[in-house]
Amino acid sequence: MAWHDEDSWLTTAFAPKLSTIGFTFLLAIVLPILLHQYLYRIKTPTSLPTFLLIGPSAAGKTALLTALERGSPIPTHTSTSPLSVQALLPEEYVPSSASYRSPGDPAFERARRFVLYDTPGHGKLRHFATTQLVNPTNIQGIIFVVDAAAVAEDVGLNETAEYMHDVLLALQKRYTGNRTSKGPKEIPLLIAANKLDLFTALPPHLVKISLEKAITEVRKSRVKGMKDSGVGVDGADEGLGEEKEWLGDGGEGVFEFGQMEEVGTNVSVRGGNVVGGQGSDVKDWWEWIAEQL
Amino acid sequence: MLDTFEILTTSGVVLWSRSYAPVGANIINSLIRDVFIEERIVPVEDAAQKPTYKKEGYTLKWTMAKDLGLIFVAVYQSLVHLTWIDKLLDNVCALFVGLYGEQVKSKHTTTLDCSRFKPYFDRQMQELEGATPSFGKPNVALTPPSSSGNDSVEDTRLEPPAAQNQAQKPIFNHDTSTDATPVPTPDASRPSTPAPSHLLTAKAGPGGKLSRRGRKKAAAASSPAAASSGDEATRRKTRSSAKKNRVWNEFGADEEDGSVVLDYSTHDVEGDLAQSGPALEEINPETWGKKTSKGQFVLKDLDDEMDEIIAEQNAKKQSSTATASSGGIMGSSIGAIGGLFRNVVGGKTLTKEDLAKPLKGMEDHLLKKNVAREAAVRLCESVERDLVGLKTGSFTTIESTIRTSMETALTKILTPTSSLDLLREISTINSAQHRPYVLSIVGVNGVGKSTNLSKIAFFLLQNHHRVLIAAADTFRSGAVEQLRVHVRNLKELSRREGGEVEIFEKGYGKDAANIAADAVQFAQKNGFDVVLIDTAGRRHNDQRLMSSLEKFAKLAKPDKILMVGEALVGSDSVAQARNFNGSFGPGRGLDGFVISKCDTVGDMVGTLVSMVHATGIPVVFLGVGQHYADLRGLNVQSVCRLLMS
Repeated sequence: MAWHDEDSWLTTAFAPKLSTIGFTFLLAIVLPILLHQYLYRIKTPTSLPTFLLIGPSAAGKTALLTALERGSPIPTHTSTSPLSVQALLPEEYVPSSASYRSPGDPAFERARRFVLYDTPGHGKLRHFATTQLVNPTNIQGIIFVVDAAAVAEDVGLNETAEYMHDVLLALQKRYTGNRTSKGPKEIPLLIAANKLDLFTALPPHLVKISLEKAITEVRKSRVKGMKDSGVGVDGADEGLGEEKEWLGDGGEGVFEFGQMEEVGTNVSVRGGNVVGGQGSDVKDWWEWIAEQL
Repeated sequence: MLDTFEILTTSGVVLWSRSYAPVGANIINSLIRDVFIEERIVPVEDAAQKPTYKKEGYTLKWTMAKDLGLIFVAVYQSLVHLTWIDKLLDNVCALFVGLYGEQVKSKHTTTLDCSRFKPYFDRQMQELEGATPSFGKPNVALTPPSSSGNDSVEDTRLEPPAAQNQAQKPIFNHDTSTDATPVPTPDASRPSTPAPSHLLTAKAGPGGKLSRRGRKKAAAASSPAAASSGDEATRRKTRSSAKKNRVWNEFGADEEDGSVVLDYSTHDVEGDLAQSGPALEEINPETWGKKTSKGQFVLKDLDDEMDEIIAEQNAKKQSSTATASSGGIMGSSIGAIGGLFRNVVGGKTLTKEDLAKPLKGMEDHLLKKNVAREAAVRLCESVERDLVGLKTGSFTTIESTIRTSMETALTKILTPTSSLDLLREISTINSAQHRPYVLSIVGVNGVGKSTNLSKIAFFLLQNHHRVLIAAADTFRSGAVEQLRVHVRNLKELSRREGGEVEIFEKGYGKDAANIAADAVQFAQKNGFDVVLIDTAGRRHNDQRLMSSLEKFAKLAKPDKILMVGEALVGSDSVAQARNFNGSFGPGRGLDGFVISKCDTVGDMVGTLVSMVHATGIPVVFLGVGQHYADLRGLNVQSVCRLLMS
């Protein structure tokens, strides 16, 4: 039975038979559907908007994370590794992107989900946070947790300001280093003034003012500071080409958080407390998250 | 006595804790900070003993389940010597991993319902405490009812953990009072219960499972007697009836398994389950089913389950090591091929043997980069600690895993804990305390103390500070003259910039500490911002010369003491850093290192790592050339790159 015989498979395949037509038709319909199903399955589930929790050690990042995840904080200790957790916006807040949707809509429910990414705040472990900042895929916002009581003192203020300076500078570099004309996605930053239940804590507007002052100081001394060893020791000229960049308005004058808006970072300061005698007060932060979602 | 036991994740969330006495959160925080992050205290590698950490009168012992990122910490007062903590940690670790291992692995959540873990833990505690050779413990089994005479029957039936709690209390009493008689317990109306003697005989068994079984029997035998005694007859009855059930089980009356009393408890437990949600049941229905059917009512039933879990975990551990070590020709060859394949593709669970050879290579590489042997060995050990038991990621070889792990370790070591902004510190001290900032420089002979001092002076002058240089090297001839030349040059250079520099000298042969103190006073009077003190070079193992540093630190009170070390020096750097760091008297150490002559070593910058590793003190400046401007801050990334290249 050669291929040119009448009842060979090749001839049958091209013959105008009903079975052949039916099979071909079925294949034409089903194959795309199966292919779609397959591709849909293997693709990772749609990435949720992520909020990055940054801040110096013992500011209350992990406690805030647990409070946002389950409603009330649980005891925590110093973190040594990052943690990402899926959380749900409570009923009483409406995500801004879904404000027109009705509560029964599945898309409405989906819009209320987000991921919180907690980073260790210890000086040696900040690379977890900074690597996230270099390439922020689907980061919807950054929550910089500040201990409002520690900011009242010089030591705490300096540490916080330096870390915040570095974070803001990284965000600015992301914006200015962009090659396309459109500019990267905006990443808003919330300064969460935590521990307002403490007697010594500064109110949010004072936290803002003292941080702005301290960041101005940090910037001033960074401008004057020494070149780092990356240029000299390597012997290569790689470092010479790139200009060092200064935070906000070319590094002159007084720093204000308003200057960050130019580079796509809207900074807002809100207060609250995670743990406290009268329970936790995270309402303002929930509102901020709802605005960003 | 154990004060607190906590189970926390590496990301800092406390999953479960049991506290017998309040312990501040800062105790465990400082454990994490000092041991896990800064690695200041290196745990002694000892197979028999768990590492310990002491802080504020507490002793902490811990163990880790690395693949799950869990840390188990036990805190107790250092005055108390507890021998069974190691065993407790091991058992609790095995139990917890066995019960909740799967749940912990699940991503994107911190919630973990561990409310059911308490009875297990309490049982472990009781058992281990019972195993210690302190007499009078058997009373524990019977004293709780007496200490809580007003407890209703319903309560105990509902909350066996509460009963357990009460069971703990008398143990405290017994540890404080050495008296072994049951007299201090309020139940004086029951002086001759037969139970204690029964239990004591049970105790005399060879220990472990057998003795527990014996104890169980004894308890069962004694309970009817106990039931007849005294005022809590009703309570006892419930307990004894429960125990009768156990006896029935043990004698093989299987049909009595779901008895009347157990029906009560299952009813309660079902209520509990309904509260805690369906998540529990869907995750581990078998375990919970067993528990509910056997009942959490009689806690001794937990023992069997507990032993099962621990045995299972231990078996798992042993089998994994066994498969790694042994196997027939066929098995080994397949294993080898599989291992090779996995090595390429990834997904291989790392063992000590896998890591040994690549780590040796890494160590040699570090030694070639002029890292002192001690530091290199320690680094490799810390990498090994990090990696053993981990799975390699997909398409990563062991070598590349080790490489990234080593890079992280190096970054972690070299990154300073707090910021090193000299200018800011100076301006804070000047404005807040209205006194000059005092910086002194120490080091071995000929490493470039004066040169680096003048480089720092130049840097400060560029920032318009008024600098006083104190020549406290009164020993080496020419030292003062050398500084004078430096000052003359700096004056020339800084004339246009606006800084001001002077030298403070008292000639040779005087006491250096006094000169330094005078210089600080002089600067205070004349409104200088910064005082830089140059000291004589000294050999770090010469006790006579080093002892004068303590007086120097006391008199001059420098805000910062920097030590200059050569990048050229080899393994001696560790000893140098240690000896200088320890020579300023208690409570004062070095604040930073200046590593000079970095331009002469190329990429062999291992000295940095050795010095930082020996002391945990950061590198502040690097000297990279002959000119005044050749002083740099430390860029951790570039140094890591040089070391790993």
